Amino acid sequence: MSSPTTSTLTITQPTEQRLVGRRRLIPRWRVRPDGVVHRRRWPLTKKRIIHLDGRFNPKSLRREMVVSDKRPMWWVIALGVIAIGPTTLGNGRLLAVGTTFLIYSAINLMWILVVGTAGILSLASLAVVGAAAYTSAWLSISHGFPWPLMLVVGGGVGLVFGAIIAIPARRMDGMYYALLTLGLVELCRVYVIQSKTFGSATGGLYGADSFVPAAMRSTLAGFRVGYVAAFVLLLAALAVYRAVNGERLGMVLRVAREEEAVAESMGIGYESARLAVFLISSAGLGVIGGFYAAYNTGASPNLFTIDRLLLLFAMIVIGGSGRAEGAVLGTLIVTLINDWFVGWGPKRVVIIGVLMLLVTLFARAGLFGIRQQFIEFRQKKSSERRADRVQRKGIVVAEEAIDIQDKQDIAYRAFDRAQRDHLKNLITPQLVEEHRAKPMGQHSDDLERVLNYFRRTPIADKYAVYTVVPFAAYRIVSMSGVPGVPPRIVDDRVHASIDEALHAVFVRRVDDLMGS
Amino acid sequence: MTRIRLTGYADRLSAMPGETVHFMLSAEGTAEADVDLVRIIHGDQHPDGPGFIEELVPGPWSPRIAVRKQFIQLGNFVLVDDPDNRLMLDDSFTLHAFVFPTTLGGRRQVILGRWDQAAGQGAALGIDRQGRLEFWVGDGVTMDAAAADVALLARSWYFVAAAYDRRDGRVTLVQRRIVTPYNGTLGPVAPFKADTTVEQTLRVDRSGVLAGAASRHELDVMAHGDEAPADSVLAAWDTTAGYSPTGVGDTIIDLGPHGLHGRGVNRPVRAMTGWNWDGGIQDFRVRPDQHGGIAFHDDALTDCHWDPTWTIDLPTDLRSGVYAARLRAGDREDHVPFIVRPRTPTARIALLVPTNSYLAYANESIAFDVPVAQVITGHTPILSESDVDFYQNPEYGKSTYDHHTDGEGVCYSSARRPILNFRPRFRSAAIGTTWQFGRDLSIIAWLEAKGHQYDCITDQDLHREGRSLLDPYSVVLTGSHPEYHSERMLDSIEQYVAGGGRLMYLGGNGFYWVVSFADDEPWCMEVRKGEAGTRAWQTRPGEQHHATSGERGGLWRLRGRPPQQLTGVGFTAEGFDMCTYYERMPDSFHRSVAWIMDGVGADERIGDFGLALGGAAGLEVERYDLTLGTPPHTKLLASGFGFSDSYLKAHEDILFNHVGLGGTQDFQVRADMTYFTAPNDGAVFSTGSIAWSSALPANGFDNNVSRVTDNVLRAFERAGPLPGHQFVEDEKLWR
Repeated sequence: MSSPTTSTLTITQPTEQRLVGRRRLIPRWRVRPDGVVHRRRWPLTKKRIIHLDGRFNPKSLRREMVVSDKRPMWWVIALGVIAIGPTTLGNGRLLAVGTTFLIYSAINLMWILVVGTAGILSLASLAVVGAAAYTSAWLSISHGFPWPLMLVVGGGVGLVFGAIIAIPARRMDGMYYALLTLGLVELCRVYVIQSKTFGSATGGLYGADSFVPAAMRSTLAGFRVGYVAAFVLLLAALAVYRAVNGERLGMVLRVAREEEAVAESMGIGYESARLAVFLISSAGLGVIGGFYAAYNTGASPNLFTIDRLLLLFAMIVIGGSGRAEGAVLGTLIVTLINDWFVGWGPKRVVIIGVLMLLVTLFARAGLFGIRQQFIEFRQKKSSERRADRVQRKGIVVAEEAIDIQDKQDIAYRAFDRAQRDHLKNLITPQLVEEHRAKPMGQHSDDLERVLNYFRRTPIADKYAVYTVVPFAAYRIVSMSGVPGVPPRIVDDRVHASIDEALHAVFVRRVDDLMGS
Repeated sequence: MTRIRLTGYADRLSAMPGETVHFMLSAEGTAEADVDLVRIIHGDQHPDGPGFIEELVPGPWSPRIAVRKQFIQLGNFVLVDDPDNRLMLDDSFTLHAFVFPTTLGGRRQVILGRWDQAAGQGAALGIDRQGRLEFWVGDGVTMDAAAADVALLARSWYFVAAAYDRRDGRVTLVQRRIVTPYNGTLGPVAPFKADTTVEQTLRVDRSGVLAGAASRHELDVMAHGDEAPADSVLAAWDTTAGYSPTGVGDTIIDLGPHGLHGRGVNRPVRAMTGWNWDGGIQDFRVRPDQHGGIAFHDDALTDCHWDPTWTIDLPTDLRSGVYAARLRAGDREDHVPFIVRPRTPTARIALLVPTNSYLAYANESIAFDVPVAQVITGHTPILSESDVDFYQNPEYGKSTYDHHTDGEGVCYSSARRPILNFRPRFRSAAIGTTWQFGRDLSIIAWLEAKGHQYDCITDQDLHREGRSLLDPYSVVLTGSHPEYHSERMLDSIEQYVAGGGRLMYLGGNGFYWVVSFADDEPWCMEVRKGEAGTRAWQTRPGEQHHATSGERGGLWRLRGRPPQQLTGVGFTAEGFDMCTYYERMPDSFHRSVAWIMDGVGADERIGDFGLALGGAAGLEVERYDLTLGTPPHTKLLASGFGFSDSYLKAHEDILFNHVGLGGTQDFQVRADMTYFTAPNDGAVFSTGSIAWSSALPANGFDNNVSRVTDNVLRAFERAGPLPGHQFVEDEKLWR
């Protein structure tokens, strides 16, 4: 057999390389470096209107502008469709269902401030809406309040309600609080069914003032007015949601939601923040209640039914409670099934139930979490595939190379693999014995080659000897390669001399080499 | 139980009897410590030697003192005192600078500003966590920030500015990349278009009335190096001002109307190339206007500024030697060493303790940080508990063998900090033997064992006082690895030898690197490793000149002073996997030098033992070389051969690389012991190996290394002509 040390290394590149790289389909915003980027913000906030950020395209180094947050764009498009679509189609039923969708969306937006942002499971949302609707309808009927005042009254009722339900929230949480608020809804329902004042006889209170002029009611024009008004309501709800969720209050609530102790240690007063969010959310729901009464010229006990509450619950479960677009999309889906496809009959409820189940089972954060989930899934799959290829070929393929910034790493990996294959041939019992007999100093050419390889490897996971007692006890450690992170002890063996420890390191390295 | 940590530093490396020495100590896990003054005689705990030896020095001081944790300001920066609040920045203003970012992302960095992080008040221009230029402003209640739309490129010069108009809260951020073929990592062909201008309105509650925000056009003009409109300048720190032929100080000069000069903390690295460096002139003394660069590092440290914890007056009758404050608390012990030199010479022998070299290696962490460390040393590192502890808490600054966090080499090393490898028992992790101080203590122990009267003096003293420090002594001994010398020190030693002094160079790889000191901070040493030599890093082009002296840094050999000129030998190879012995060379049988080998057999192996890998020849070795200035009458007394291939011929000797530069193949990989005479009965004896002094203590100091050293020392100590001086003729060959 010829000595393996005399041969040069052969580095085999894989033959099954696929072409990678693609054209850009959507042109990017090019930048003139001498131009000025005017960065505009929403009035009264620090939020940027559009998140345009510059970058250098890693393939061409060309400067580009990238919209790093495309959501505002999608919102504008979606709101445009919602505003223009039903109003121009001229379908009365579409407008009526659309109005329901808009009002429920607004309710859900207020609700997820408590459920999502603050993370408190309150089911009192419909109780607030209903109480406000009843109070404002009653005041309108009995005292002749005009509809704008009904909204104000609704807000006031909501504020009081918010204060009331915020008190037990300081003491209770989770399921107990949910049950308490559920009881509150039921209490309201029983109360209005039995109260003469609130129309126990007529099945509701009717005859309140409305922003839809009496003459227009039940006409297409009337539906249109109602729809447009509800659209404005949704915009207002979105603004409130954004103002709470996107600013400091929302941040405090989210931190407190994750870890109260952390919030406290950071000096964040989350108790007052929670009170604030209850008040804001309930006042908003109250205004919506007033709006509801004005739109329907009254209120009915249906508002407080458990099935209605569960329908709302389904909306935010399907859409996800963490973001505005989720609440709106969830509302859209459930409203469509429940109110548009009335012809499907009781199957609707089953469909909604199945949808809820699917979302709960498979989506981590509602429908809008799916994209991120898909991206993560894809990354996981591609790294699995990559690992698979690495195991088979041990060499970088073109799809992987695009992610490696320093191409020398690719050359290193190819060389290293060839080097290891080559050195494996040199390892013999005689070689190991040669090292044992004399770990330091000049060795045979083969052993020197092996040692030089071991000594040149990168720092991370490189072995070293640790002195327990000088000249008496040594252990083997492995370096972290990370500044500030100490080496870790690799086993519990204690070696009586430096030479013994050095040889133990060598044996470990040989094992690692042969096992690779 | 809390782990006790206890360490410190002395306010000086070299003290005289009767002087007051302050020890700055810091402790964790204990409020009290036992302190003693000890004289250190030996450190290396290798079983073949005498082990650790110290001697308690009684004194009137309290043996138990209160200790506490002391803190350290890491990182260098420039501080501007502004007693009249000229830079209050209440009105509109513009901040601008030329910057060369090296580390982007991770942490927010400040370029310049007046910002109170705790109060959230002030304004600053900096770099955000994404590596983008950022301007931020706060009034103590709210703060707001604007960032550039595109990240900065690392290692590229930029003009950056933020013009803030407080009336409408508008800030204009300007970023202009300045790329020349010389001033950055990437040249003009890499197609980055990195300029940007961003306008954004900031929201903070307070608003000002005056307009001081520069227009975009004005800033563009300034980006080309032109001056700002004079009437609007509040402060203009000109980093190219203040240079002199002997370097540049720590003051950053403000050319503005208020003269708000800045003061460097932890020595920001000056004398670096600036944005406008055109590559033509490498020397800042010729073109200071192109060397306005100042490098800032977040891990730089030149002075801990700790409060004195223990202060003692050294006894007036204290003999010269190596001393230490011994600190003990619980199971912890630390020694804070310092050297006591005599007020007036008390002996004819002086040991020049190479404190410069201690500084150069202070707190090195090669074994942890350098991927090729194991292949340089030829073995696996042997770590100690103290190494691991320091690696976890790297707060005491770095050595000139380390790199700052941005990858630039460390060029300042200071004595005003705990130096954990300047400890008697320290063993180098990378090398596996003692290093520097511990090995030099073997010379001390040997001098003691042989009953020699000697004084200790240090590099610091020699740099300060020059030749007059050496002249009273008839012989000066070096340490084992006197590698770092200032010009004044080299001159002094050379003149001392030329004037009849005798030098015993008991080490290897000495007189190698150029160092300098700032006169106002003599405890802080500057090293700029240049384009050749066995070096841990290399200066960037145009930055090889020392800020503290103006001279060119690097190897003395490349300044025209190879070590061979002074000592007869010069660095030739290093390796740390084995040591070997010397064999007598024919010259040692010449009558003029045969006395050196008294008691050594003709074919006796000299030093096939020792505390350093079992041999007196090794670690770093030197060779006789006439072409490099070895005096022609130098006698090659002995040589150590047979080194491993881990010993490779020195970088500065190699022009074309070729196979076979290792110890098994290259004849120049060897350790030469030489001797030559100098005028006026002067002489130089060199051992050419670091490991030499570690062989002295073997066999109870009774061995042939000890014998040779003793022969030379006793001859050198005696005044008058040297033994063998009369044998100036060769043998007559009759047959």
